[in-house]
Amino acid sequence: MASLTRKLERGRAGLSSLGIHAILIAYSVLALFPLYLILLNSFKSRRGIFGDPAGLPNESTFSTKGYQSVITNSDFPLYFGNSLVVTGVALFFILLFGAMAAHALSEYDFPGSTFIGLYLILGIMVPIRLGTVALLKLIVDLNLANTLTALILVYTAQGLPVAIFIFSEFLKNVSHEIKDSARIDGLSEYRIFFEVVIPLVRPVIATVAVFSMIPIWNDLWFPLILSPGESTRTVTLGVQKFVGQYTVDWGAVLAALSVAVVPVLFMYIIFSKQLIRGITAGAVKG
Amino acid sequence: MRTVKKQPQPRRWHILVFILPAFLIYTVFAIYPIVESLRLSLYQSIPSAQGTGTTAEFAGLANYMRLWGEPYWAEQFWNALKNNFLLFAMHMLIQNPIALALAALVSIPTLKGAATYRTIFFLPTLLSVVIVGFIWQLILSPLWGITPDFMKWLGIREWFKPWLGLESTALVTVTLISIWQYVGIPLMLFYAGLLNIPEETIEAARIDGLNGWWIFWKVKLPLILPALGVVAILTYIGNFTASFDIIYTLQGGLAGPDYSTDVMGTFLFRTFFGFQSQLGDTYMGATVASVLFFIILVGVAIYLFGVQRRLQRYDF
Amino acid sequence: MATLEIINVSKSFGRTEVIRDVSLQVEDGELIVFVGPSGCGKSTMLRMIAGLEQVSAGEIWIGGKQVDHLPPAKRGIAMVFQSYALYPHKNVRGNLGFALKHAGVRREEVEQRVNEAAEILELGDLMDRKPRELSGGQRQRVAIGRAIVREPQIFLFDEPLSNLDAALRVHMRVEILKLHQRLDNNTMIYVTHDQVEAMTLADRIAVFRNGRVEQSGTPMELYRKPANDFVAGFIGSPSMNFLNAEWDAQTEKLSAAGQLLDGSVLQQAGIVLPGESATGLKLGIRPEHLSLSPQGEFSGRVQVFENLGGESFVHINPVDDEVLVAKLEGEHNFRPGDNCCLQANPAFLHLFGADGQRLS
Repeated sequence: MASLTRKLERGRAGLSSLGIHAILIAYSVLALFPLYLILLNSFKSRRGIFGDPAGLPNESTFSTKGYQSVITNSDFPLYFGNSLVVTGVALFFILLFGAMAAHALSEYDFPGSTFIGLYLILGIMVPIRLGTVALLKLIVDLNLANTLTALILVYTAQGLPVAIFIFSEFLKNVSHEIKDSARIDGLSEYRIFFEVVIPLVRPVIATVAVFSMIPIWNDLWFPLILSPGESTRTVTLGVQKFVGQYTVDWGAVLAALSVAVVPVLFMYIIFSKQLIRGITAGAVKG
Repeated sequence: MRTVKKQPQPRRWHILVFILPAFLIYTVFAIYPIVESLRLSLYQSIPSAQGTGTTAEFAGLANYMRLWGEPYWAEQFWNALKNNFLLFAMHMLIQNPIALALAALVSIPTLKGAATYRTIFFLPTLLSVVIVGFIWQLILSPLWGITPDFMKWLGIREWFKPWLGLESTALVTVTLISIWQYVGIPLMLFYAGLLNIPEETIEAARIDGLNGWWIFWKVKLPLILPALGVVAILTYIGNFTASFDIIYTLQGGLAGPDYSTDVMGTFLFRTFFGFQSQLGDTYMGATVASVLFFIILVGVAIYLFGVQRRLQRYDF
Repeated sequence: MATLEIINVSKSFGRTEVIRDVSLQVEDGELIVFVGPSGCGKSTMLRMIAGLEQVSAGEIWIGGKQVDHLPPAKRGIAMVFQSYALYPHKNVRGNLGFALKHAGVRREEVEQRVNEAAEILELGDLMDRKPRELSGGQRQRVAIGRAIVREPQIFLFDEPLSNLDAALRVHMRVEILKLHQRLDNNTMIYVTHDQVEAMTLADRIAVFRNGRVEQSGTPMELYRKPANDFVAGFIGSPSMNFLNAEWDAQTEKLSAAGQLLDGSVLQQAGIVLPGESATGLKLGIRPEHLSLSPQGEFSGRVQVFENLGGESFVHINPVDDEVLVAKLEGEHNFRPGDNCCLQANPAFLHLFGADGQRLS
């Protein structure tokens, strides 16, 4: 009976289940094929790449030289480390300061709270890149040019509005009684934040983390402008320079590209499920 | 016994402690630079009296006059702006309908493997534009790309063109690549919006005799209009700023061929830093950024006061 | 175990005054219920006792100690919330012991008190579960257990049963009453908007309206002698009927719903009649004090008939624009439009002045 109803439902959806899967699979191929191509060719020798870009690596074309040269002959590990530091630290600040501000805005009534709330999420609408000219001056004046600190600060500022917005939307729907209960239990306002609010917002932390991480990890603009120096390059900028520098060593470029994807991919696959839940809880209701 | 006395409000330092870190970092590194850029757009660089270096001098709207008055600037500006609006229109007409259609399909409750599809569709969004740019060069290159061979195999080799290299097709090609990468974002927003519609509402529509197709048009679509509004404004903003990355990667700072893919982002970059023969100019850079700021402001104002107010939000 | 004194307490949020000069004494061991419609200030009053809101003026004393300056944890109170307010990331045991651990109580003692509370509330099997794995009733028991563990001087309940379904609500009501007895009649303050809860639970009820206490007293005092028409209408279910009435001092007759009632009859009910003629009075008759009688003074057509089996409610129009509801014992059958004649028990009539105050 149940399966019959389901069949009827599908029939009424206008498209058969087969048709739906056909469409979705077709788009999946479109989305995945280029990625497959990169991964495939990163394991091939130069001749293999250009002779038959779509072919599988075989005995004569298989090579891990690309990966070897990325790891040994280049600054790639350094860039990778830079990116990890910048993204990790900025992410930590975004999550911590964002949650703190959102908690204060949703929990306490104080003069100007609405104004400050609006001010803090203004940055969603006004991209920080528009201030690049003055930002570069500021960073130079602060003696932070070509440092990772500059990137961390700028990315934290860039990420905060979205983080505060998502956290606030989520906290709005969380009962205030639980915080009152903690007050009766004798917790200070700071401990309420760390021991009650942080565990409460855990479901959206993943959402905020992924949303904040992707644009930081992949950003080209600010590394190019604020810290293009050899020792402070991020992976994205480094790979971009690679493409010019290593024109002869395509294998290395492809290997570098493949490795550069790993951290974001990793984050996304871990948090994929929570991501959707978080978007549903916060972002869309806005 | 009647003691009516006013209780003093306890000092609530913790509120300050919670807000201050975010407030300071955001103000210093996001808001101040934008405001300062607006101010700098009113200055010009003048050779200093000592003859060494330059000093800034207040110039009113002179930079804006130059931007719109001198053919060298005006030509670039209007070209970039036109391209930006084309980019926006194409994203709205191609990317967002595709995203909506895919989200509608993936959100069918009985669909098997929905989570897998969702993950796959979002994958390109995770990638750096540098990677995306390179992948598509590998695919589309007339010299060593795989497309010519593939088309030969299909027997339509003569239709192949170096699309990224032709003035007439470069912008469209870049846009399609950008859509390929970013379709995941509107898709996620639509998907979350569709998931938020309670099952009862759909069942009520079914009892009212609507079939799947009409339920989508008459029930689901109106209910996710707010998500549609959010997607529209995000597309608008992203198209003026984020589009720099993909164009810089694919076509370089000159946004070739012959500026045919130039957008406000690349124009700003060239103006500020200079490119090849052209010298960088901080104050003109600030001017271009300021104009961009006002263009975005107009869009946001239209969204907030024109679109969003009319969109009823439904809380379930 | 303690007394609670509320002395001339006021509270305003900005310009809006939510509590206006309330004074109230709660005796040691009393279960007092704050009842009133939403927005009447009853929850704000409770939150001020808890220390979650500051008083704007006035004093609060618990067990002979002034507490209105103290933080919640130092007032010797425990509170049970409407949404249970359990910590979602801690299991039942963790929730029960949290406050004690935080207060630095020795581990063995925490364990002992947690186990005691668990036993009282029969939570033994649930100790390792997280709140999301519990039903509403179980969550409420944990919330109550969390309060018991703290061994407070005063228990505060903020609409604790409102999120439960009807059957469970009745069950938990009895549980709370049992708990009150079991805990040697600990002082409890219970906030609700449900007058049935108030009547069944309370030693004493305080009826709130617009930030004031309209009347406080035992449930039966409030039922028998409501101080004004608001309390009269709020306490009792179905609500008291009110008929517009006029008093004629010359003829000593009260006219209501087209009928004339003798002053002497009203005096039997303890009503003190005004010396001069008055209009705008309200005659109050509870539905349970109306009965079927062919000689009844109020007759009219049946509008609605609600049959509950053993009892039923009949709504009639004695005159246009006025409705009388009568609660009938036993089995009856009326259909809309039928004629129905009702008699009021003269001993239980209530009369309220034009200002709403009881005339007695």
